[in-house]
Amino acid sequence: MPEIKLHLGSQVAIRKPEFDRLLDNLVKAGYQTVGPRIQGVAVVYAPIENLKDLPKGFISVQEAGQYQLKPSGNERYFDFTPGAQSWKQFLFPPRSELFAMMKENGHWREELIHQDVPRYAFIGVRPCELAAIEVQDRVFMRPDYTDPIYQKRRENTFILVIDCLHPGGTCFCASMGTGPTAKRGFDLKLTELDEVFLLEVGSEAGLNAMQDLSVESLALKWQEDATASLALAVQSMGRALPDVESIPTLLLKHLDHPQWNDVGARCLSCTNCTLVCPTCFCWDVEDVTTLDGANSRRIRLWDSCFNPAFSSQAGGNIRPNTTSRYRQWLTHKMGSWVQQFGVSGCVGCGRCITWCPAGIDITEEIKAIRVEAKE
Amino acid sequence: MSNEQTLINILESIPWFQQLSQDHLNLLASFSHLVEVPQGKDLFKEGESEDFLYIVINGRVSIEIIAPGRGRISIYTAEPMDVVGWSSVTPVVRQRTASARAVLDSRLIAMDAVFLRQLCEGDCALGCIVMRRIANVVAQRLLMTRLQLLDLFANPGEQVTHA
Amino acid sequence: MNDMAVATAPKGSEVLLAPWWAKIVEITPEAEGVSTFWMEFTDKSVRDKYRFAPGQFNMVYLPGYGEAAISISSHPEKPEIIGHTIRFVGNVTHAISRLTRGTNLGLRGPFGTPWPINDYKGKDIVIAAGGIGLAPLRPAIYHILDHRTDYGNVSIIYGARTPADMLYPREYDAWRAKDAEVMVTVDRADSAWTGQVGVVPILFYRFRLQAERTVLLTCGPEIMMRFVVFEGLARRIPEERIFLSMERNMKCGQGFCGHCQLGPYFICKEGPVFNFKQLAGFFNVENF
Repeated sequence: MPEIKLHLGSQVAIRKPEFDRLLDNLVKAGYQTVGPRIQGVAVVYAPIENLKDLPKGFISVQEAGQYQLKPSGNERYFDFTPGAQSWKQFLFPPRSELFAMMKENGHWREELIHQDVPRYAFIGVRPCELAAIEVQDRVFMRPDYTDPIYQKRRENTFILVIDCLHPGGTCFCASMGTGPTAKRGFDLKLTELDEVFLLEVGSEAGLNAMQDLSVESLALKWQEDATASLALAVQSMGRALPDVESIPTLLLKHLDHPQWNDVGARCLSCTNCTLVCPTCFCWDVEDVTTLDGANSRRIRLWDSCFNPAFSSQAGGNIRPNTTSRYRQWLTHKMGSWVQQFGVSGCVGCGRCITWCPAGIDITEEIKAIRVEAKE
Repeated sequence: MSNEQTLINILESIPWFQQLSQDHLNLLASFSHLVEVPQGKDLFKEGESEDFLYIVINGRVSIEIIAPGRGRISIYTAEPMDVVGWSSVTPVVRQRTASARAVLDSRLIAMDAVFLRQLCEGDCALGCIVMRRIANVVAQRLLMTRLQLLDLFANPGEQVTHA
Repeated sequence: MNDMAVATAPKGSEVLLAPWWAKIVEITPEAEGVSTFWMEFTDKSVRDKYRFAPGQFNMVYLPGYGEAAISISSHPEKPEIIGHTIRFVGNVTHAISRLTRGTNLGLRGPFGTPWPINDYKGKDIVIAAGGIGLAPLRPAIYHILDHRTDYGNVSIIYGARTPADMLYPREYDAWRAKDAEVMVTVDRADSAWTGQVGVVPILFYRFRLQAERTVLLTCGPEIMMRFVVFEGLARRIPEERIFLSMERNMKCGQGFCGHCQLGPYFICKEGPVFNFKQLAGFFNVENF
């Protein structure tokens, strides 16, 4: 077999056991490899060492308010669609200690809290999730201001994207233009077929990770199989959101639509949707103080626009009920986000639908607002 | 210049009356007179009968309600060209619902309310102009009273919150 | 104005929300529950660099309690000592009320958009303030009156709850001496008060303005601003020449904690000063 010279953009195949060597290479390069594994009854993102850690032979059945892992009946590793967690938790940690304050002689002195920032290698990032990371890049790494916590994690992150060949019931990435395949933004892209993984090299770091792997050139049959599977994935997606470009105007022009009251009555204001959303970025900051008041630590925490305190200020709450909070969330996510950051805040991953205990489906809410708007 | 001519000149200068004909101005002047109220003195008191409609020419007149234990509470101050005692022109004449006190030396035009009402009823064109002006005054006072009721500048930290 | 944002963690800084320290050098009681805290950065290099524009705010940090967004109320050309007129309304500001001279506080800033007074030289300026809302306008008043010949008529109309609640009453005569018309009114008063009684918008009936050459700046409770805007529009001042300073719960001051959003705007970043045209679509939407 002729030796294959890899370069940026190379597309090759590896036999599945070779994947362990890829993970080894990443570990040797100083990365902490994080990927999907089953914990309890769901897939989470956690440290992985080799193929055995992956949820082999599972699919996840997802509907509004429902999630269940089931045997897929085959031997593939990436047939499931992701669970509640996204990669957000690694780049934008749910809780970050910023600094400590010590009182000495009546004056405060700040003390930096040293934190080792892991170099993550994200293994098995879905195209919609990659799009979500790029959305958060726009939030946290603006030209005029950069969040140091996010930036340090993000700059060192290795991303292995996986083409999503088996979308779930609540997925609508095809409508949002974020999936089921990724065009750029990854170090490596993987497509899983029955016998092999197809790999595309997206960066120098990706190239390095491929060192010493035993690669094969792409067989035509594999290429055809991948293309056909992607086309099928688009068709088998459980949800769709037509006419995405018109949504911001649609929502912001219908702030008094009766549908807001309707959904406000169903929504429990539980904040699940904002926590599972891979792009929701709102945070709060608080001081945690020792009893004697001499030591205080400043902590950043995830917040949610569904929390009553989120919009409270001295004297009252700007958004005093669930209706107003739901409207804020959806008009921001799918509307004003575009004006703020140049992209929609929704990537079509479907998590907010799956993990809503009330089964609220944003694609249905938007359709309801659109129906009346047309009348 | 006669007193009457002075009155007519003053009436002409009031934006309120600028749409009126000379005949109407003369008529109004015939049952109007000038009142001077020194600082601190009452123009009228709560409970008195409503006999005049006033327009402030100079000074400042405070509309006040006496609250037992709290003294006189000022609700509104009328500035030059402002109307005082508008309810005297409304069809149901009652007693004064508030006192009016000059907080600065003030000069006002006083128009006999009975004559003014009769004139408005007999001359609907004039009546319409006067009542439209009165309606504007009432609308403005009502809006300001609503805003007062909201207590806009209260410290929100001291208010009961319903968050 | 963003190039003036010196006293905050610069791009690429190690620590998010890290403040600079500033010492309280003087406290001026202004009214019941309101004082001005005069602060000086302890680090000379920060002191030398710090500049702000009228209308901008700082995040004032008291360890153990947290931060509050406070407008700067002092003279923009005297940035060495920064005045913050603080009303004691929440946890942080109540804790600040108990501090004494010599205490250090954290400061980050300045943040937000300024009053666009430099864009309207030659115009008549109407400043309509209510309650604590005079504080963020005072730097603009100082600037305008110190560059008096750059502007046409200057009218300052101000309303407070009672005569005792009025901010900066000893300065009004100095403003008048610089050819500003200053009119004040209160919501309620006893018989000792010889000034006007009535809510701020009433003062629009007390002077004449020429809409085609007027710029209106307003700050106060949102309801008050709604009716000030109403009076301004009724006098045909165009929407884009009516400026408001908005208030929301703010945490970061840099437009990425999400709290202060109003439609597409982060009030801390695209505001707090907006022209009414920007806000017109959202201003009357209930609970938005």
